[in-house]
Amino acid sequence: MLSREQLFRYSRNILLPEVGVKGQEKLLNSKVLVIGAGGLGAPVALYLAAAGIGTIGIADYDVVDLTNLQRQIIHFTRDVGTEKVLSAKSKIEALNPEVQVITYNEPITSANILSIIEQYDFIIDGTDNFPAKFLINDACVKAKKPFSHGGILRFWGQTLTYRPDGKTPCYRCAFKEPPPPGSVPSCKEAGVIGAVAGVIGSLQVTECIKYLLGMDTLAGNLLFVDLKSMEFNKIPLKKRQSCLCAKDPEQIILLDYSQPVCDLKGEN
Amino acid sequence: MKIEIRLFATFREGRFKKDVWELPEGTKVIDVLNRLGIKPEEIAILLVNGLDAEPDHVLKDGDYISLFPPVGGG
Repeated sequence: MLSREQLFRYSRNILLPEVGVKGQEKLLNSKVLVIGAGGLGAPVALYLAAAGIGTIGIADYDVVDLTNLQRQIIHFTRDVGTEKVLSAKSKIEALNPEVQVITYNEPITSANILSIIEQYDFIIDGTDNFPAKFLINDACVKAKKPFSHGGILRFWGQTLTYRPDGKTPCYRCAFKEPPPPGSVPSCKEAGVIGAVAGVIGSLQVTECIKYLLGMDTLAGNLLFVDLKSMEFNKIPLKKRQSCLCAKDPEQIILLDYSQPVCDLKGEN
Repeated sequence: MKIEIRLFATFREGRFKKDVWELPEGTKVIDVLNRLGIKPEEIAILLVNGLDAEPDHVLKDGDYISLFPPVGGG
């Protein structure tokens, strides 16, 4: 049963035939994990909170840096020097006090990722490096968890949604292996328009909400977004029979690739 | 034969967005990459006619190649 206040707060959700009161209750009972509270994670966490996702987990072990503020809109000037998870938690709670926020102020590795994602209905990748993106993919495939991948650089972004139905191609089906360290310019070297993170993060939240409501998603495709030329390309992906997602999940071994692409502090 | 090449994001820089090349029969994707000066390991997504392909794919008249670079920031 939604309270009178909830009916008002979520009225623009509830008005949608795809949501309704039942859908809103589903969202309020959902648990979503955001890995990375940076460029992508910031709009993601805010939109999840505004939409009334009942439990939001946030994982990040960085502190807010002045160079983050150009795009990481959940962190404010006064937060410089504060742990990102705490800064994010305080904004979420101010926006929507009924959201429960769980913070993980630690690196996500092959050792802890399975026990963390186990507690969530949907995982959102807001990380800033390829090793983390592959780890999230492999762990979600292994644990049969749905997730949204997002990546940004300069004026470009991409996203894909993984549905653990045994048919959906995973991130690794599309990209196989992390590119060699140093072969792709880092965020710090190449820059990014802050709003590009907002576009991709918003797409990721839309996908997450649709998934939680039982709607069709982008699953099976990669959306490549070029905000310089304003081109959106939806690329159909093929499930690779040689990919680890085609294996018995029990046999999937999680890897911590040694060198992150964007490993400088204050960069995600 | 005529092959269309579509480049995305960074691959357009100093090159082009879309171009049509006249190429001899038997040309492979890797030959096109060499002429473009793009190494296979720089490519995240390589498509021929919108479908996933490998660099040794042999092209046919009217094929189009799409190349996307990796985007992994956050």
